[in-house]
Amino acid sequence: MKIIPIIGLEVHVELKTKTKMFCNCSAEHFHIDPNTHTCPVCLGLPGALPVPNKTACQWCIKIGLSLNCTPQKNTFFERKNYFYPDLAKGYQITQLEKPFVVNGKVNIDGHDIRINRAHMEEDTGKSVHINDGGQEMTLIDYNRCGVPLVEIVSEPDIISPEMAKNYLLKIQQIIRYLGVSDADIEKGSMRCEPTVNLKIEDDGKTFYTPLVEIKNVASLTGVQNAIQFEIDRQTEEFEQTREEKSKNNKTTRGYDAVKNKTFLQREKEGSSDYRYFPEPDIPEIVFSDKDFDAIRATLPELPDQKFVRYQKDFGLNDYDANLLTQDLSFSQCFEKAISLNPTKDMSKFVANLFLGSLKTIEINIEKIIPDNFKKLFDNKNNLSSTAIKQLILDSYETGKDPLILAKEQNLFQNSDSGEIEKIAQKVISENPKAVEDYRKNPNSIGFLIGQLMKNSGGSANPSLAKEILEKLLK
Amino acid sequence: MEFTNLTSKQIRQGIIDKKFTATDVVNFYLDRIKNIDPKIKAFITITNKEALAKAQEIDEKVKNGQSIGKLAGSVMAVKDIFLTKGIQTTASSQTLNGYIPQYSSTVYQRLIDQDAICIGKTNTDVFAFGASTESSGYFTTKNPWDLSKIPGGSSGGSAAATAAQLCQFALGTDTGGSIRQPASLCGVSGLKTTYGLNSRYGITAMASSFDCPGVFARNIEDIAYVTEISAGKDKFDATSVDQEVPKYSEKLGEINLKDLKIGIPKEYFSGSIDSEVKNKVMEAVEIFKKQGAEILDISLPNTDLGIAVYYILIPSEISANMARYDGIRFGQSTEGQSNIIEYYMETRGKYMEAELKRRILIGTYALSSGYYDAYYTKAAKVRTLIKNEFVDTFKKVDVILAPCSPTVAWDIGAKANDPLQMYLADVYTVCINVAGIPSIALPCGLNSQNLPVGFQIIGNFFEESKILSVAHQFQQLTDYHLETPKL
Repeated sequence: MKIIPIIGLEVHVELKTKTKMFCNCSAEHFHIDPNTHTCPVCLGLPGALPVPNKTACQWCIKIGLSLNCTPQKNTFFERKNYFYPDLAKGYQITQLEKPFVVNGKVNIDGHDIRINRAHMEEDTGKSVHINDGGQEMTLIDYNRCGVPLVEIVSEPDIISPEMAKNYLLKIQQIIRYLGVSDADIEKGSMRCEPTVNLKIEDDGKTFYTPLVEIKNVASLTGVQNAIQFEIDRQTEEFEQTREEKSKNNKTTRGYDAVKNKTFLQREKEGSSDYRYFPEPDIPEIVFSDKDFDAIRATLPELPDQKFVRYQKDFGLNDYDANLLTQDLSFSQCFEKAISLNPTKDMSKFVANLFLGSLKTIEINIEKIIPDNFKKLFDNKNNLSSTAIKQLILDSYETGKDPLILAKEQNLFQNSDSGEIEKIAQKVISENPKAVEDYRKNPNSIGFLIGQLMKNSGGSANPSLAKEILEKLLK
Repeated sequence: MEFTNLTSKQIRQGIIDKKFTATDVVNFYLDRIKNIDPKIKAFITITNKEALAKAQEIDEKVKNGQSIGKLAGSVMAVKDIFLTKGIQTTASSQTLNGYIPQYSSTVYQRLIDQDAICIGKTNTDVFAFGASTESSGYFTTKNPWDLSKIPGGSSGGSAAATAAQLCQFALGTDTGGSIRQPASLCGVSGLKTTYGLNSRYGITAMASSFDCPGVFARNIEDIAYVTEISAGKDKFDATSVDQEVPKYSEKLGEINLKDLKIGIPKEYFSGSIDSEVKNKVMEAVEIFKKQGAEILDISLPNTDLGIAVYYILIPSEISANMARYDGIRFGQSTEGQSNIIEYYMETRGKYMEAELKRRILIGTYALSSGYYDAYYTKAAKVRTLIKNEFVDTFKKVDVILAPCSPTVAWDIGAKANDPLQMYLADVYTVCINVAGIPSIALPCGLNSQNLPVGFQIIGNFFEESKILSVAHQFQQLTDYHLETPKL
């Protein structure tokens, strides 16, 4: 029996526009007093009408372009009708027939994942279920109601939980590069609903297990674990029931992160009838090529482009280029640090600092002083690598000139060959056994160098020390 | 002092000239309302206090030599689907009994800002769904010309209040004829504006792509004047149109009837039309003819499809627009259910009126998967055909003249239990809404039972100026609009 998982992801990204999608309320809702960022429009009061947020629409297209989607010229909003208390109007304004962008793809681990669409919609309020002195009740906070959401729908091209995670990381990275959302899964500004089933090849026949949509996944590990659980569960279930996918047996399962398992939420629904129809309160939105060009012109350099440039211009390897470009602000700090001498040598030198000592701290671009990096680079032959690592951290924290710090701490290496030769002669005369070893095996010079360094109080330039020892022992 | 024969501009001038005060005007109308409204029941809410306070504010301004608004002293009645901050707004539905809005509709606010005085909120069919006010969740308004007859609808309260001279002008909305049909049945004038000319913001939505706020008055001058103040782009309504609003009231003499080509569509004069109605409207045509206007027989063959298209598209929009009336954030609600579905069913079941439920059901059905293409999609396509038919016709004629209703006002109760008959009452008005073009209704005499007959002048998109001018000149030539019911 051969099992191939078929995984599609619906990703919701909450845009960090100033105002909500269809009204002028602040779109901020995290840790805000309940129902303070509301107005007649987002509360769905009688007579209130939606007016679309232009920036949000542009950002949605921006996201689409970054995911290699094609923007559509004739678009419109639609109403998706269903009843729920946190959905103030009794319908969600979204896009079905004519989303802003369609047909994109992203490459994950050498594997193309097609993107069906990215469309614009509005978020719902939040229902909070509490128990107040024994009385169960539900409170609703409408602050989130009407916050712009972009839904990115992938085709079911993902074939492993790990690939699902990497896909999410990629989307998150791109969104953050664009600066249109925090895309924080834990805070809910990025949410993900995987749909999972299996292709099973058994006995020369192919079977597809029923589709399962997984809800309440609230972390990256959660996504991976929930999908893995589903793969195992569906495999087991298929072995027992041999049930295959049909038109009406898609189910919805919730994910319980504590127990690490999924549980049945909604049984065998057909496609829910949301009675979509064009939103009559908002005229069609028509774009021109010029509009798209203008949006395209605002696109920053995207992670993949940056990655290639780092390899080409800075001679960095895959691994380093990848690490440096993962996070936009980190890469911006890096670029600032090398700005006074953006050569391959300097880049490699600074990359090592970034991926070494600076990786360990929360880095802030304001505190990056390009001159300090250049000074260290210029003096890299007079300082030990340990000293350089320490100096960059100290100068980053204090803002002080690293060369002054080096002097204060007496970190400059001794490159006075006369002085080093004296110490070398002393070391040679004091270690006849080691000298004998060296004659037999030149690789054992390390011991003598170590002795020399020790005698110099660590200040001798190691490469010079080696050179002198070799000369004396010839 | 008799204020009913003055126009809004004359009222304002009288106040400036200190011939009378705004308070005099308000007291005059409050007095009339006190005597007459119990008979016709045009108002759900009478805002005596607020009206007197506003009048005092205007009088105060005059006393202090300050300027006053363009509508200072004009007493207006407002259809109870316009939200009025701090004043109960029911949409004539029990779902909103006691609902006090926290904001005002744009059209209402623009008029108030020019010192118009709201004297009360008028009855309508529930959420404007109907043609008689009988579907109101409160009571049926009576026709001032004959208290046994309906006033028409849905803006029946506003039409009746205007006819009974309980206000200077009144606000209504026209989704399928809800201004023109009651205007016609009550013998007053009423303007259905081009879709998007008047903001819909703050008016309980019936069918969002059809709803058109507009004005009733006893003369075209007031309608032109109020409309030039209320109309124009509203940043809170994405469908409101961004173009300059002409000073309609200063352009009423603009059209020369001699140069006018009037189209008479045969579909509006055939079938079930009452012969007296037909004759009265044809008499109006004769008057234009005598003035030198060219009368052209035309055909609008898609007219028959209007009702079908209308009664698929509007319930579809209604079914979604009514979803917010769940009693959770506002409005009446019930208690004690064990789950949310039960709560919805009991609350909406208890407070929603029959016509409301009927239209929600029709619309929900039409939008359901499997039916959507056969109904909604098809109707939307026919909508385009009807619109194109009008646009093409206006290449040949300047305006189209037609009756507003196949009959005069009918007996209260006659069609109340026959929704289909009631829907057919819209036959001469709906196509104009389906297309989105403007049309002005005005009276053209009384029939043998002393009931008003009206007609409409239909124009191309944004040609309010033209149709108002034509209608105004008709009123200069005739006295039909000056007839008043004996009350």
